[in-house]
Amino acid sequence: MSCRHPCLAGLAAGCLLLACGAAPAHAAEHVLIQKDKAFSVKKLQAKVGDTVKFVNEDPFAHNVFSLSDAKSFDLGSFGQGGSKTVTLDKPGTIEVECAVHPDMRMVIEVSK
Amino acid sequence: MPHNSRALWIGLLVTACLLNWMNSARGQAPLPRDTRDAAIFRGALVFANYCVTCHGIHADGNGRAARLYNPRPANLRLSDKNDAYLGLIVKLGGEAMGRSPFMPPWGAELTEEQMRDLVAYVRSLNERNDTPQ
Repeated sequence: MSCRHPCLAGLAAGCLLLACGAAPAHAAEHVLIQKDKAFSVKKLQAKVGDTVKFVNEDPFAHNVFSLSDAKSFDLGSFGQGGSKTVTLDKPGTIEVECAVHPDMRMVIEVSK
Repeated sequence: MPHNSRALWIGLLVTACLLNWMNSARGQAPLPRDTRDAAIFRGALVFANYCVTCHGIHADGNGRAARLYNPRPANLRLSDKNDAYLGLIVKLGGEAMGRSPFMPPWGAELTEEQMRDLVAYVRSLNERNDTPQ
């Protein structure tokens, strides 16, 4: 009887390890700078579960949004030094725009 | 492609404005810069470039991004706001005016003249008869 609990604990630990091994790698945070009315990259490769942090380094507001099927969102307006984060929860192509500056565009390719 | 669609709308709007201007200007002096018609003409270009995404090409609140928002973008054709109030919403954004936080502040992007022109254009579309100017 005395060995039953350690055995169960070992079994549970093994299951936990297996579960961890089956889970996707740790989600990455991608940082996109907005400066001089442009995104710091025009195309970003990311995985499902990753996050993208939009950081405004311009002395005026930006308003990041997307109407793509893979992710529709509007982060609202945020000024210099402000940042907003979006989580990529589906694979696909996300076209990102700025509502204030129509020529600001970039694409995020999200894979599984 | 949304980008091409916007360019197409801007092109159509510019063409329509030019044709309208050519018809009205036939046999007349060029449109003076400080007239209301000139302001509306310029305001239409500003609107087509910055506002149609949410408010739509007809300014009825049915732009391609409108589905993101609740409440939806304002139907500017039915606005009951006067010019001064419209100008403040444009300049300061919705949040500063106790309205939708998704209406960006345009004061840092547009010149004072562009914002006045925009208000003149929106006023020209208004279908209400009881709106104070």
